[in-house]
Amino acid sequence: MRYFRIAWRSILVLLVGLLLHYALPQHDIARINSIEVIRQDFTGFNRLFYAQADSGSAELPTRDLRLINTVRRKTYLFGMIRGSETIMVYRNEDTGWIWPPYFKFDSSDLQAEASNFESSASEPQWLAIRHYGWRNRFFTIYPNATAMWPIEGPDVRIIPWFNIGFFIFMMGAWLFARAMWRQFRERMVDPAMERAGDSWDHVEAGVKERQSRMSRWLGTWRSKK
Amino acid sequence: MGFIRLVVFGFIGLSVIYVCVSFYSGSVRREKLEDEWDENQAAGANQPARDTYIEKGMVEYFNGFRRKLIVLIYIVPAVAVATILYLTNSN
Repeated sequence: MRYFRIAWRSILVLLVGLLLHYALPQHDIARINSIEVIRQDFTGFNRLFYAQADSGSAELPTRDLRLINTVRRKTYLFGMIRGSETIMVYRNEDTGWIWPPYFKFDSSDLQAEASNFESSASEPQWLAIRHYGWRNRFFTIYPNATAMWPIEGPDVRIIPWFNIGFFIFMMGAWLFARAMWRQFRERMVDPAMERAGDSWDHVEAGVKERQSRMSRWLGTWRSKK
Repeated sequence: MGFIRLVVFGFIGLSVIYVCVSFYSGSVRREKLEDEWDENQAAGANQPARDTYIEKGMVEYFNGFRRKLIVLIYIVPAVAVATILYLTNSN
């Protein structure tokens, strides 16, 4: 039972961690090579990792996808350490109203911005690119860029204020929910259990009383010794 | 369409939180009133007076300002959505 609980909790923590790693914003330092549009035919599986069609458009099984090709610095430990240069391709899609809650409707504008920032290796224009999601070559999925802005150079450190605030909020919400649960237990559940225990005692006492009456009555039929 | 879904499900979710928090807040207030009475009165003080004191305090709480602050459960997320919407889409 104990191992089962440990396993269950580890799986839960892992799933929530993956979900947060996918959905929370992260920042990359990159420069844009080019932008392009490809037609994307989704499979049932990798459809999960794409948003829906632009918010004003109809949803069809196949559609065009805006991509941003970049050279970016490798990122370790949630962006605390930056390494050598590598490449990264971002998609650029409206997230719309629901999930993940970025409320992004300006994909076309972002694409225009990206094309404005295109630069070469000899004269790089470094950018901070905010994105969520994962790049996976086997499933053909890309992180979704949500914002970009020019920065001084490739060594700028970006402090993830939103994520810091988010985790503080989550901690507070967790403590509050726990306090609520404890109050509920103390004021509602425990007294109810006590009352139920009391009335059960009454029932038991009643049964005993009845039994003894019954046996006394039966006793009147038994032959006296 | 997505907007309507967000509003409907958001409203349902926030209403669940609202109901839970208002029960919690009321329960905490009632406990506080009970403790106050028990502290100030000598042991064995009469039960009806205690009940009246607590009911009076609860009525005050129900008409008070603090309870109305719970409406922020609806307002804060709406403001947050509007803020994110603006920050994401403004250039």
